[in-house]
Amino acid sequence: MPSTSRATILLLGLALWSVPTGCARPRPTATEGVLVVSQEMQSSWVRNFNPLTTATAARWPTLAGIYEPLFVFNSVRTEYVPWLGVSYEWRDARRVLRIVTRDSVRWSDGTPFTSKDVVFTFELLKRHRALDRRGVWAFLSRIDAVDARTVDLTFSRVFVPGFDEIAAQPIVPEHAWRDVVDPVAYANEHPVATGPFTEVRVFRNQIYELGRNPDYWQKGRPYIDALRFPAYPSNDRANMALVFDELDWAGNFIPSVDRVYVARQPDAHRYWFPLTGSSIFLYANTSRPPFDDVRVRKALSMAIDRELLVEVALYRYSRPADATALSDGYAAWRDSVIAASGDWVRYDPAAAEQLLDEAGLRRDAQGVRCLPDGTPLSYDILCVSGWSDWVRAAQVIARGLSAVGVTSNVRTNDFSAWFQRVQEGQFDLSLGWSFEGPTPYLFYRWLMSSATVKPVGEATMGNWHRYGSATADSVLDAFEREADPAEQRRLADEMQRTFVREAPAIPLYPNPSWAEYSLARFTGFPSAEDPYADPSPNKFDRGECLLVLTTVRPR
Amino acid sequence: MRYLLQRLGFYLIAGWAALTLNFFLPRLMPGDPATALFARFRGRLAPEAMAALRETFGLTEAPLLQQYFTYLSHVLRGDLGISVAYFPTPVSEVIATGMLWTVFLAGTAVVVSFAIGTLLGIVAAWRRGGWIDSWLPSTLVFLGAFPYFWLAMVALYLLGFTLGWFPLGHAYGDDLTPAFTLEFMADVFRHAALPVGTVVIATLGGWLLSMRNSMITVLGSDFVNLARAKGLAPARVVLRYAARNALLPSITGFGMALGFVLGGSLLTEIVFSYPGQGYLLVQAVRNQDYPLMQGIFLVITLAVLGSNWLVDVIYMWLDPRTRGGRS
Repeated sequence: MPSTSRATILLLGLALWSVPTGCARPRPTATEGVLVVSQEMQSSWVRNFNPLTTATAARWPTLAGIYEPLFVFNSVRTEYVPWLGVSYEWRDARRVLRIVTRDSVRWSDGTPFTSKDVVFTFELLKRHRALDRRGVWAFLSRIDAVDARTVDLTFSRVFVPGFDEIAAQPIVPEHAWRDVVDPVAYANEHPVATGPFTEVRVFRNQIYELGRNPDYWQKGRPYIDALRFPAYPSNDRANMALVFDELDWAGNFIPSVDRVYVARQPDAHRYWFPLTGSSIFLYANTSRPPFDDVRVRKALSMAIDRELLVEVALYRYSRPADATALSDGYAAWRDSVIAASGDWVRYDPAAAEQLLDEAGLRRDAQGVRCLPDGTPLSYDILCVSGWSDWVRAAQVIARGLSAVGVTSNVRTNDFSAWFQRVQEGQFDLSLGWSFEGPTPYLFYRWLMSSATVKPVGEATMGNWHRYGSATADSVLDAFEREADPAEQRRLADEMQRTFVREAPAIPLYPNPSWAEYSLARFTGFPSAEDPYADPSPNKFDRGECLLVLTTVRPR
Repeated sequence: MRYLLQRLGFYLIAGWAALTLNFFLPRLMPGDPATALFARFRGRLAPEAMAALRETFGLTEAPLLQQYFTYLSHVLRGDLGISVAYFPTPVSEVIATGMLWTVFLAGTAVVVSFAIGTLLGIVAAWRRGGWIDSWLPSTLVFLGAFPYFWLAMVALYLLGFTLGWFPLGHAYGDDLTPAFTLEFMADVFRHAALPVGTVVIATLGGWLLSMRNSMITVLGSDFVNLARAKGLAPARVVLRYAARNALLPSITGFGMALGFVLGGSLLTEIVFSYPGQGYLLVQAVRNQDYPLMQGIFLVITLAVLGSNWLVDVIYMWLDPRTRGGRS
């Protein structure tokens, strides 16, 4: 039928004609002074600006940008920056922490900020345990306002590291929160806050925009007019937006960032990945022989080629860990002499074999090492499926261990299954993270304090390898009661020495803190040349991104 | 009518079974929402947060059976609970943010694909051996055989990234406010072109092939020959006699496809950053957000059952044999 074919040709023609007129992609509407940021991966936004409930419920930067903490911790310089609090001192033999709050701060509705707001916030945490994310009421007994600018926090026991948790608490206004019936399930859609960005200008499912606080207490700051957040459901999509300059600032992992991102626009695209993230470990379950033997743990460590590992697993974004296991977030605490004394993080298979021989783990006829009772050493290295950096790291480790006669296989588990197994101590070898804090106290506590050891089968949040050290206990205990910086340093050195000597876990590499930014429209981001703070938007837990948000300015 | 009521009874039982599965399956996963949150933070969350999180999410230790009956009664009252991943937003609200977009995106794709595929199938069968018949089915089946994810990425890369003809994602321009204006609608269609286009290309072949094959069977049957012999116009024979009967198997498939619209557009939405419901499901699973998972599964179940019922109705209209209540 000729008419049919004529119709088909017509249709095809129409289709071909309509494709090119699908018009070119509009360049992003780069409104002047609006910084476009991507920190959360979501396909659509849900309106929530509650700084007190779970860390992921509230939109970024509710915790550090809309609301503010008392003191901001700068993890690159390892120091506290006075924020809503201007100074603090320990009184009554370190039983009372006195904090002086900043004068001349106003909430975004004009009400003055006073010490009453601080007291109200902490009492709110006491009334609602679900809001006490940092567990401050485990060591606090009461809080009082001495005058309009001074707060006294009374401790139930001497616990100096408690300051870190109090300092990081975002403060909410009493007058706006007093009548909230259920602050746990409160979405706080119209925030009244003290931070640099308090005006919700736009909120739609694909985008939201936060305008600057016109009466911000740092006069003249922030220099940017607004923050804008497009919703991207995946890392890949956000990376594409970065490459296309639709984003000014992000905190994503990008493979081969120099080629993918920087080369695209060498004069504007920048990244800086300081190694301030949590250290990644290979945990050996010390409740099971032979991992209770320090020689075995050190031998396993020496069988791992960490140079190869950081290259294969992390595109060389990180460096091999030293024997103190401290990341660069603890640069001010780390003692390089002690670190150098730990030779068991160096790749030395011959020394590893010798140590294993000494530990009585001889090779059998097949070349596999055996326990004294004849059980061959054959282990699974657990990691989380889909966490490709861990999986690749585990493969390098497995190859190294097998070479010294300890048969190892990489076993990936779904996150929840993995988490349950490590928490309950049902594993031999597993990759795992460690905890971050302003001092090495929290870090080492969860690596080697007897107080954190739980019996196998009972879930624990840290110390999955179940290692307790009497030496570490006394040092950690002394640190809890020490407020003098010089003494704290001495104790921190002692912790490092203990860790290097006892090798409770096998450090692999410190995680980088991811940050990419474009200098096309804005300037003033932290960089290796100007390392004034951690550059990553992911560092909101202790207020650090406030330092960046108040420094970045339009070109 | 009795036939429809019978079917309705069947759907009620199927609905209850699905509700029960919705409840128990997610709970067979190890872990709970509070632990899932730690996955995202990898050590940046203090250990103390665990107790607070459990308290927040109100994780109860009540017996499973008791939880099940509470859940059933809540569902019957239309209360789907509070989402954990998007705490403290109610599940119904979370689902509402994405559902309309998913219905629009995947619904359009299924309808367009079905319509074009079926029409092409009719043409291919009627002009058997013609160029449409010899080239189109194999080309389309070939395209459909690629993993959809890959096809979508390639389309996004070539047409969006390299050539810049289409936007890279989202349902409408970020600087537009949703409104019933011509500008906004045009923008929505421009943003939907690539996602819908890729789904259509990936699924067209199936529709074409199934319609073509059943058309060929029907075209060989006696009543079509009779119609031809009576000298009816070819168009009338094809459409009123052959196509109407050949459509029945395709309608079943269409109903299924329509039902899976709500659950099946996950990949499309992830590749094109479309603010739909598919991505919500991924988030829900990742966060072990039981209420949200249950809510989404419920919506999907209802959609599948609803569209099946719709197919039953269409069947009655197309196929007189079902009307007589033949046993």
